[in-house]
Amino acid sequence: MAPPPTNDLSLAQLSLGRAIGRARAGEDRELAQKVREGGEALAHVMAGLLKMSKVHAPDNRAFDAPVDQLARALDELVNLLGTVHLVAVEDQVYVNEVRIRAEGKGGARDLGAELARHNAGGLSFHAGLDRTAVRALVAGFAQKPAEVAPRRALQQVLLERGVRSVELAPRFRFQTQGEDQPMRRDPVEALLRTLGLVEETYDNLAAGRILNPLPLRRAVVEILEIGPEVPELWENLGGGAPHATHAASVALVALLVGKAAGLRPAALQDLGLAALIHDVGYACLPSDVAAGPEGLVRHPPEGARIMLRQRGFSESKLRRLRAVLDHHRDHMEPRGRPSALGQVLRLAEDYATLLRVHASSISPSDALGSMARAAGSAYHPALTQVMVNVLGRYPPGTLLELEDGRYARSVSPVRGPDTFAAPLVRIYDLKTRALSRERHDLAVEGAVHRALPG
Amino acid sequence: MDRPTRSPPRPSPATTAERGPTAPVAQAAGAVLLALSRAARSFVLYDPGNALVRQFLADYQAKMRAALDQYGELAIEVRPIDMLVQGEVVYHDADREKSLSFRLFRDGLRRLTILPHATWEEQLKLLEILAVRYSGVRQQEDDTVTLLRRVGFRGIAVVAVEGFTPAEETPEPALDERVGRTGRFRPPVGWDTPLRKLPAPGPLAFREVADESLAPLRAEDGEGAVAELVLSLARDLVQEAMRAGWPRSDLVAFFAELRDALLADGELGSLRRLVDLLGEVGGGELREEMLRGLGDARTLDLVLAAVPEDAARLPPDLLPFLPLLGIDAALEQLAGNPGEGRRRLLTQIVLARLPREADAVLRRLPALDARLARDLGRGIVARAPERTNEVVRQFLAQADEELRLEGLAALESAPGEVPLQPLCELLRDTSEPVRARAAEVLGRRGDESVLDALRGALEGSREISPGEAEKLGRALAEVAPIAAARLFAGWLEPKARFLRGLSPQQRAQQWAAVAGTGALPGTDPEPILSALAERSEDELRRHCLATLARRRKAPRGPASHE
Repeated sequence: MAPPPTNDLSLAQLSLGRAIGRARAGEDRELAQKVREGGEALAHVMAGLLKMSKVHAPDNRAFDAPVDQLARALDELVNLLGTVHLVAVEDQVYVNEVRIRAEGKGGARDLGAELARHNAGGLSFHAGLDRTAVRALVAGFAQKPAEVAPRRALQQVLLERGVRSVELAPRFRFQTQGEDQPMRRDPVEALLRTLGLVEETYDNLAAGRILNPLPLRRAVVEILEIGPEVPELWENLGGGAPHATHAASVALVALLVGKAAGLRPAALQDLGLAALIHDVGYACLPSDVAAGPEGLVRHPPEGARIMLRQRGFSESKLRRLRAVLDHHRDHMEPRGRPSALGQVLRLAEDYATLLRVHASSISPSDALGSMARAAGSAYHPALTQVMVNVLGRYPPGTLLELEDGRYARSVSPVRGPDTFAAPLVRIYDLKTRALSRERHDLAVEGAVHRALPG
Repeated sequence: MDRPTRSPPRPSPATTAERGPTAPVAQAAGAVLLALSRAARSFVLYDPGNALVRQFLADYQAKMRAALDQYGELAIEVRPIDMLVQGEVVYHDADREKSLSFRLFRDGLRRLTILPHATWEEQLKLLEILAVRYSGVRQQEDDTVTLLRRVGFRGIAVVAVEGFTPAEETPEPALDERVGRTGRFRPPVGWDTPLRKLPAPGPLAFREVADESLAPLRAEDGEGAVAELVLSLARDLVQEAMRAGWPRSDLVAFFAELRDALLADGELGSLRRLVDLLGEVGGGELREEMLRGLGDARTLDLVLAAVPEDAARLPPDLLPFLPLLGIDAALEQLAGNPGEGRRRLLTQIVLARLPREADAVLRRLPALDARLARDLGRGIVARAPERTNEVVRQFLAQADEELRLEGLAALESAPGEVPLQPLCELLRDTSEPVRARAAEVLGRRGDESVLDALRGALEGSREISPGEAEKLGRALAEVAPIAAARLFAGWLEPKARFLRGLSPQQRAQQWAAVAGTGALPGTDPEPILSALAERSEDELRRHCLATLARRRKAPRGPASHE
């Protein structure tokens, strides 16, 4: 629209100006403002109540007003955010990632010290609290901390008093450089975090709340850094609720295929995020509709509709919406081809669903083999071959009968063209269903006799 | 904008280490970080098209180039309130609301290494990410680390952690019983089924995939792809909303976002396509709501940001939207004395809203500077001539002489009756050009009712120049020729003439009478003027002859003015 800029700097200025404009257009100012204000109120009142509890008995009338305030502030935040995480980190206070201004205000700044008496660093409110529950919470904190495991002891007290929706978090500190390496590189931890996040996200979206993509994006970034081909991720997929496990499976396959197809890091992040929430449309369909063919047709647009509740523009949101809308559309769809992310998601979704629904009757190899033959009609032909290339002849999870008569389970995607039919495996005991502690590399020793369902 | 409302992003004493770094590489890195921080903040403080922003950008480019050329690599360690290079503090700011280091640290960034082969595009991307984070937006979608990871830098390496971590000096076991969470999602029975019937499995083999078969898929997130994505989503979502009966409110905010994003990207052609598409697929009401939103102040900011401040002309794609942009916001910005480029654009936006929004402009006119008020006043006169008198009334009350003259010019050509009283008052104006012009306009648009005012101007005690007197004389002749002829006769033969000589007032009257006589109808004036010329001396004689000549030359009789 503008006349072409004359030099590098003009061009840069224009491009940066547009980026800022886009970001501003994408900001949900209203939500951010509400969270900031509500968070400030929650943090200040909470800190104030905990202080008061040291000088007043829990039934003192002085508590009435602040208890009311806290219940109201919490209700508003729960309505907006679902689970509300109030966290004190050193002298900083955060509510669901949003930093609360504590400078110059006594209350929130002291929250960390109050929580630390019970070796706690934060509170997760999974639901709103009535006045009685708020009083019980405050009374719990007013007690003398247990000498051993005070946080756990306080959590027990809260449960006994019926405060079941408040979870105490450990104390936090900012990480410093260097100490992150062991934790960040633990794929199992990363996967479990992802599964937990997916469950929480679906719960929130099902309850009519707004998608909070940042934690999910961080989870995807972490998986991408670890590498979606890492065997530990594939071996531990079964640790979550069924929908979370399915979402994580779809995400792993999609990221593997997307990465091999040469998608850029930004597209990969968006693909992973879309994969984690692609089925969320089921959350707002009546159960009689959701189960069966109509649910299959209606959940993609309903998912998009749920995602539309998140305000603010970003290209990521558009790609997410497009992918979720497209994730059951055929490659040769008469209305037009699905988006690239939608096509990858479709492949990953069908593959994961085939195995989920027919686990006992079809092997991952056969599932992939069937899909490969539908390439060109249901699936993008080149992407399907990419998926074959990365999952291999014996995709992760395939039960194998080895030529030496032993059984094994494949635990790795393809590591390179020469390992296409030679994955890493764990030896499988058919009677006990136990897997060996060590992995064996079929590229080094052993050979597959056949793949089996189950 | 040329005049920022906030102070420039100079480093406060807190933003530089108390004792500067000693190692040359640390000094160079410090200079780069300072330039980076300033440039990032400048985009938040000023209009991105501002010349000052370009200056900060140039400084950042120069400092970065110099540092990389000389030292090859800048490895910067990020801590909560400062940043270090080779163990020396090169940036320090304890104010966590402003500090670049705290923002980076809080988002989990721990080390930033700019490699020698970092391209200018990568350096700009880094700046963009920081500028976006400085503006405090995108908190729901991304943080600094996810943004940096998205880019896939080759010349910039980052080490990041999750921002904070459990401080498990005294770890405690979790309770067996899970804390309750309300509203748990359970997938329905038979979800994602029935599965499509697939063919029998085929053999699996590794085959190289030709890059060209994947390239179109990769291109979907390339430059210009967003607009296509917007259009495809818009079409599908509107159709789905109509099929499933979604309330319109489900989509209104989303379409406003699409509109703003396309504006921010300068994709006005795509915005037009979106508007058309909504009409085609039956989203007419959505389209109207989306267009109505163009009137928001925030939307106007996006438009302004998308047009370079020094753009010589408006982008053609913007023209269809001009009538929809927010006039109040545009006037507000105009009142803030923007730079020349912005002013031109904003003026065109306002003019495009006339005559419908003439009230809004008229309300603001008194607060605008004279040149702008003149331009907008002319706009109203041209596009809403029936409102001319209101423009005139405002202009005539202005302290600025040019505006009062502008008001008089507008009045002269205004349709219908003109208010004569304010004109008569202007005969006592402090400015001679205004008084003279008022007399002129009174002559053209006035009637006998203004005779006394004109006469009073010549008979008062104020000194009147020959030029003003001429105008008054002619005006008298035009509004009331018979009465004026009598007056002129008296003024041409003053009684005190041979006793004491003429007073300045009598001279002015005489001067006016000559000019006025020349403007009278009929044949009488010419012998009067000829006779007067013969018996007068010097200036008056010349004035008579010039008036006669003018009268004879005038194609349509005596009333034409020069």
